[in-house]
Amino acid sequence: MVTLSRRTVLAAGSAWMALTGLAGRALADGEVTISHYFTGDLGLKGIQDIFAKFKAAKGTSVKDSPIGHEDFKTGILVRAAGKNLPDVFSYWAGARTQFVADSGNLHPIDDAWAAAGLDKVIAKSVADGATMYNGKRYLVPFGYHYAGLFFNKKVMDKAGATAPKTWDEFKALCQKLKAAGVTPIALGSKNRWPAQFWFDYLVLRTAGPEYRAKLMAGKASYSDPEVKKAFAAWKELIDAGYFVPNANADDWTDAADKVAKGTAAMTLMGTWITGYWNGNGLKPGEDYDFYPFPTMTAGVPNAVVGPVDGLVISANAANVKGAEELITFMVSDKDVQASWAKIQGALSANVNVDPANYTPVMKRALDTIKGAEAFAFNYDLATPPPVAEVGLSMFAKFMDAPANYEAMLDDAQKAATEAFKK
Amino acid sequence: MQPSILWRAVFLAPPLAVFGLIVVWPLLDSFFYSFTNWNGFDPNYRFVGFENFTKVTSDPLFLHAVINTLIWIVAAILMPTLAGLALALLLDTSVRGAWVFKSIFYLPICLSAIVVGQIWTWIYQPDWGLLNTAIGAVQGAPFTFAWLARPLTALGSVIVAWSWQQTGLAMVIFLAGLTSIPHDLVEAADIEGATRWQRIRYVVLPLLRPATVVVVALMVINSLKGFDILYIMTGGGPFNSSDTLAMHMYNESFKKYHMGYGSAISVILFIMTLTIILVYFRQLRKVDEIND
Repeated sequence: MVTLSRRTVLAAGSAWMALTGLAGRALADGEVTISHYFTGDLGLKGIQDIFAKFKAAKGTSVKDSPIGHEDFKTGILVRAAGKNLPDVFSYWAGARTQFVADSGNLHPIDDAWAAAGLDKVIAKSVADGATMYNGKRYLVPFGYHYAGLFFNKKVMDKAGATAPKTWDEFKALCQKLKAAGVTPIALGSKNRWPAQFWFDYLVLRTAGPEYRAKLMAGKASYSDPEVKKAFAAWKELIDAGYFVPNANADDWTDAADKVAKGTAAMTLMGTWITGYWNGNGLKPGEDYDFYPFPTMTAGVPNAVVGPVDGLVISANAANVKGAEELITFMVSDKDVQASWAKIQGALSANVNVDPANYTPVMKRALDTIKGAEAFAFNYDLATPPPVAEVGLSMFAKFMDAPANYEAMLDDAQKAATEAFKK
Repeated sequence: MQPSILWRAVFLAPPLAVFGLIVVWPLLDSFFYSFTNWNGFDPNYRFVGFENFTKVTSDPLFLHAVINTLIWIVAAILMPTLAGLALALLLDTSVRGAWVFKSIFYLPICLSAIVVGQIWTWIYQPDWGLLNTAIGAVQGAPFTFAWLARPLTALGSVIVAWSWQQTGLAMVIFLAGLTSIPHDLVEAADIEGATRWQRIRYVVLPLLRPATVVVVALMVINSLKGFDILYIMTGGGPFNSSDTLAMHMYNESFKKYHMGYGSAISVILFIMTLTIILVYFRQLRKVDEIND
């Protein structure tokens, strides 16, 4: 027989209150709620330290609910549908933010931006490309990334290989590595998105950033010869056996592990891979390094690809003032930005952060971006989400059976036309 | 003393309110949204009539998901049921220690589908998974087939993992059914000179009919609910090849933001499920009438 003590009943009651959020709302007036995708490998501890710093600096506590990267993409929209968004949430600049801004779920931050003097903090190119939607400012960039070919330095040295500058040099390098018994390219496309960087760079290097922007906006077709040419180059690499077998079975971290262990030589990935590798004890510049995606067609402007991690405020935020304080603090505070860059392997969006805070590899990544003629968001941030779904599945399908890519592209165009109509 | 109607109402009100709030209301809501072009969070949407329902006819992913759902239902009726029956017949002995095996075989059902999915994802891992390591050891050469990442094997591999979990449940129900078989019937068959197979075929199996009815019903219902294990193991991938209707509905609603179309798929799934259950229970009633 179970007897219920008064304490048990009270405890159960308060647990229920906490679950329903009643206690949370009633007790902690002035706290800011945030949801973000910086879990586990992507810097959970780092961001929680930052929230502690914010509390120490401004006296406002932050109640965070981290959600894994993949689940976040859907989870945050479920909360939006239920009008249950946190005050602040992390989001990717580009088409995804556009999508949420269009639905009226975001709070404009033009005033907070001006009050905090963020024009002097954030590089104009990033501010113009990532923060404005429908003529208003909605997003504060928290950090950004660059996708390059990250490689195992010891494996490359052993094979006597040097960083390739052109497509022919790149293919020769792959051939050399393969002959040395190493799989040249690791790819973990189980969650599909890691394959997109190949598509991005192949289209950008052959057809150029202007054409790609048209394709992303639905003003060019996946059936175009430009896209087919990019896929033909991709197929050539797969047919030659340069990619790991079973790419669709691996996650991006599995691919990173294969390169770290030296069973594969390189992987096309964002700079967050440096945060992952550093966390596993690898030394930047000694164990790993990177080179930019090689040039393919002469005369095509040199573009770099990457995502911008941003912070946005929801339209029905309970604590707008606290939310504005938090997001401006997170980008303005140089220490916060420097520590985040270090932990996550991100590049700071704050121009005042001393480059001495970066590892030699990240410094070179920064220089590569500065020397580029265009910065393009990666595929799933550049094209509207319903279209991105079509393309991402197509990339995985292509990795599985590259032979009939022309039919795949025609199918994708049909689905994309449908998706753009909405 | 008969409790008054008022008291019945008082005690029934909380569960009915909860049921209404979290089951009936969302259900009606999704019927409503299935006639709109709502994207999931935009307050501006309009009615599109039956457009979402006619769209399924031209959606190749929908047809594919229907086929996969039917494959799963058929596999659910066969695999855990047969394996559970075989285990129950094997373990229905007075051998000492049989309870140990019963517990072991029942254990998987105590695990959440997410845990089972993760265990089997490791078993299927191409480079170091248990399955490929075993095949490699037998054939004497490394075997690296990616079971969950190839379109032809992904769905089947998930169904095997799911059946592994459900078999324990089927076994327990069959074991309960076996204990209710009168001992003298089996003894009579023995005296008449029936072989072991004849005894099972003509005495045990017919008497297990009520248990079988329950097992099949549970398996069909559980197969239609089998979203979590698919989500964790393949997420419907690679490239939608293992999508079921539930997964397709999820992708359309929450990944493509076609909440209206996703709702229409859920309405179709609802009607499908309802039809299966109604037909099944009609048959069930007939069986009961015969038994009575």
